[in-house]
Amino acid sequence: MPKLFHRLFVANRGEVAARIARTCERLGVTPVFGVSEADRDAPYAAGQEVVVLGPGRSDQSYLDPVRLVQAATQAGCTALHPGWGFLAENPLFATLAETHGVTFLGPPAHVMHLMGKKTPAKRAMGAAGLRLIEGSAGILSGPDEAREVADRVGYPVLLKAESGGGGRGMRIARSADEVEGAYAEARAESMAAFADDRLYLERLVTGGRHVEIQLLADRYGNVVHLGERDCTVQRNHQKLIEESPAPGLDPAERSATLEAAVRATRAIGYVGAGTMEFLLDRDGRLRFMEMNTRLQVEHCVTEERARVRTPEGLVPLDLVEQQILVGAGHRLAFTQDDVVLEGHAIEARVNAEDPSDGFKPAPGRIARWEVPAGEGIRVDTHVADGYRVPPFYDSLLAKVIAHGATRDEAAERLAVALEGLVCEGLPTTAPMHVAILRDAAFRANAYDTSFIPGWPAKEEG
Amino acid sequence: MAHVPIRPLGAPRESFLDEATFGRQREALGSLEATLEERRAEVQAGWGEKYVQRVHAKGKLTARERLARLIDPGTEPREIGTFVNYGEQFGKLRSPAAGVVTAFARIAGRWCMVIANDNTVASGAWWPRTPEKIQRAQEMARRLRLPTIYLVDCSGLFLPEQRRSFGGARGAGHIFKMNALLSAEGVPQIAGVFGDCIAGGGYMPIISDRVYMTEQAYMVIAGAALIKGAKSQKMTSLGIGGPEVHVHRSGCADVRVPDDETLLACIRREVERLPSSAAPFYRGDAGSIAPLQPPRELSGILPKDHREAYDAEQVLARLVDQSLFWEVLPDVGREMITGVGRVGGLWAGFVINRQGLVDDPEHLGKKKPAGSLYRGGIAKLAAFSRACNDDGLPILWLQDISGFDIGAEAEAQGLLAYGSSLIYTNSTNTTPMFTVLLRKASGAGYYAMAGLPYDPILQLSTVLSRQSVMEGRTLAIATYNTKLDDDFAILTDDPAERAEIEEGMKATEARIEADMDPWVAAQRLDTDEIVRFGELRSWLELCVEASYQAIGHRRVKNPRIWSLHDLDVLVEGVR
Repeated sequence: MPKLFHRLFVANRGEVAARIARTCERLGVTPVFGVSEADRDAPYAAGQEVVVLGPGRSDQSYLDPVRLVQAATQAGCTALHPGWGFLAENPLFATLAETHGVTFLGPPAHVMHLMGKKTPAKRAMGAAGLRLIEGSAGILSGPDEAREVADRVGYPVLLKAESGGGGRGMRIARSADEVEGAYAEARAESMAAFADDRLYLERLVTGGRHVEIQLLADRYGNVVHLGERDCTVQRNHQKLIEESPAPGLDPAERSATLEAAVRATRAIGYVGAGTMEFLLDRDGRLRFMEMNTRLQVEHCVTEERARVRTPEGLVPLDLVEQQILVGAGHRLAFTQDDVVLEGHAIEARVNAEDPSDGFKPAPGRIARWEVPAGEGIRVDTHVADGYRVPPFYDSLLAKVIAHGATRDEAAERLAVALEGLVCEGLPTTAPMHVAILRDAAFRANAYDTSFIPGWPAKEEG
Repeated sequence: MAHVPIRPLGAPRESFLDEATFGRQREALGSLEATLEERRAEVQAGWGEKYVQRVHAKGKLTARERLARLIDPGTEPREIGTFVNYGEQFGKLRSPAAGVVTAFARIAGRWCMVIANDNTVASGAWWPRTPEKIQRAQEMARRLRLPTIYLVDCSGLFLPEQRRSFGGARGAGHIFKMNALLSAEGVPQIAGVFGDCIAGGGYMPIISDRVYMTEQAYMVIAGAALIKGAKSQKMTSLGIGGPEVHVHRSGCADVRVPDDETLLACIRREVERLPSSAAPFYRGDAGSIAPLQPPRELSGILPKDHREAYDAEQVLARLVDQSLFWEVLPDVGREMITGVGRVGGLWAGFVINRQGLVDDPEHLGKKKPAGSLYRGGIAKLAAFSRACNDDGLPILWLQDISGFDIGAEAEAQGLLAYGSSLIYTNSTNTTPMFTVLLRKASGAGYYAMAGLPYDPILQLSTVLSRQSVMEGRTLAIATYNTKLDDDFAILTDDPAERAEIEEGMKATEARIEADMDPWVAAQRLDTDEIVRFGELRSWLELCVEASYQAIGHRRVKNPRIWSLHDLDVLVEGVR
């Protein structure tokens, strides 16, 4: 076993905290959980070392970089896993950890920062050879340039705030006449919300599919991809179902983009696990949208397919383990040629939400919790009987992942598994997933990001 | 601790400054900075379009066009001394930028100093203060070991004003001494001769390591006109000192090129042959990350009125990478902030004056005005300055200082001696120091905090800077001291005398006020450049990166062995 960290701080909660701890325990690394008061009695922390960060509200616990780093150093941890969400993509958190003696399991802060900035990230990726969504080369000088670019790329176009987020500072222009007004509105909204009036422009792509590439890099310029995932089944940009390989993706486009993504990852000096997100347009082309500089919720889809060829035969690949190894300075122990991707994997995110009531979050106590098992089924969860879902955080209860030789086999296995899930006391999204997985449009791969196949379910009768 | 324990500094603007005040301050500064932009444009236009066309008609480029083609695409040159001679008349003529462009410029990824005669202003003649401006740029290059590039197109000294730029210690000839010193200290110099290069001007390219000449260039000790007068011979300057003579026969130049574009491409190639910047090495695994709190907000954080306070921490937060800062010696001399942050991924020491009131440790329960030098603060500055010098950290001095504390207590405490210790420290430091006059730069405070007389590599002013020995009002009171009572009211009841005194005091105050104007300072080389608050961060990035570019000429310690850590343990105790 390679030399690793003795103690690792888990700067997150819920499912990802449990996920990280599982790998730590397998590797002989002691996990220390930073928990809010609301998570103090969480099942995953039972019998483990915990440091209470502060109140349940995340701005006083999981979103406070100073508290987290202080807790990590006080707990004697030499490494910190940020999980996903919260501060996982916050470069200040990464720098703060590094400058106080805690190694951040993620890319260097400045690379994270670069990928978090819209036009610089696009420019860097374009320069590294990835195809982009057509638009302005960078920040627009004014409405005149906006119109010029829009005329060139074709309408409708999207004017977007450089500092924007959450849909704010964004306007659509459907024709040349609308550009000036859209520019002015987006600019004013961006100035008010972000004190920054810089805008850029992209062709508006409606529909299309969401495809992403899992990447892994060590500190020495060795980079591999672990294939792609399709996350087209979304609701309000929240992914519901993820799978790999991406159905219907042209093999030549796939391999060219995978190679380009590896080159781009190396070019920016990326370290650790990361994901590049692409839009698959109607012409079957993959266009770079953004890079997530962290482990993703849906990483398990990749793990269920990926095997590494070793002298002892094919062995599974654990992305959290790889993050820890890379953080401790190890080289990737395998090359691209050693990576084997087998079969088809599909993941469903089970949330404590009522899909038949507008996906209303349903915090509360789970009286009985039983997870399915079966051939090709994996369940990642932090929940146990009697678990109380706190009102402060997202409502992810579990991820159920099915693997099969074919897409149909994986989908059917997953549907059957989800039917066997027991969650007494709270509604979950499992019934929705079953409906989607059994839907003809889903099976026929005839959908895009603009609607959910098979949901809302058609009225019977 | 071998780590540099930087912590979050500052806060979102709306948490400490309401929208209305911010807007008002931004507007007040905005109009001053709009004037700055207008004047920059005015200076950069030289003598105007007619002269640009005259240059183009000769098949040549203007000085600023040459500069634009020389630098890396996507970068901006950073001109210094833009306002030297601004507003000054020489007979009927003006000399925008003193007829020479001096700029930090990025060429092939290296910071260089470019000195380019402005051929749209009297054919690049040297005006009064042109030599000083050139020497100032050479000095910056010498201190930072930056490759120095001369774009020569100079008709010689502007002779009607020759007295003012010939005989003194910084007369024109001192430029060639600077050429020699740069060479002696191993700073690469490259000269491109694009046109006239007469008399004294002839020496400037010669000492350079590489000299290029275009077909329109000539270098002569004396031009054809002068020889005709002295020796009654007919000839052309190009004939006696052109590239055929100097490249092929005399060897006074190295390479003959057809035109401006080719010459500029050749200079880029020369710079590429030089060692690359060491900045990425010193950054290590860090990279430049913008401050978390946006630097552009600086243009609304400082009130225009120098008597109004602001939060200096919020200024710092908008200058350091990620708004992360390690405050060193936080508990003594609270009227100052000293500490370390990254700028563009590279470590730098910062000094800034707090404003408003701070606790007075010598009189418990009482407050005293910050923005002034007291014993604790002076000692802190000296210790911090020495430690940065010891560690090779560039020091950025951000001044808004009204001077030393005065009075019986100050004298009894020996502030003269503490102040002298600080001055000694700053005078003998070898680490690069840069000074920014945020607002007030008054009295000995300006000196003690590395004002221009203490040889910072670069001193920047803002549109709010006020350099003075004392405020106008104070001087007026001092001048009429004997005629005023203890509340500074005029004693006499005689209306005529009263009016005279009032008039006199007003005139004194107005004159000082006018002299404190940053434009006056910039015109006379009492400061190097006036910049917008929103640009400040990018200027500091330049200063710090240029400090780390050249390797092997100065001490640069890695953070493990910083004496700053020792200072921290000694003062803060063992934790």
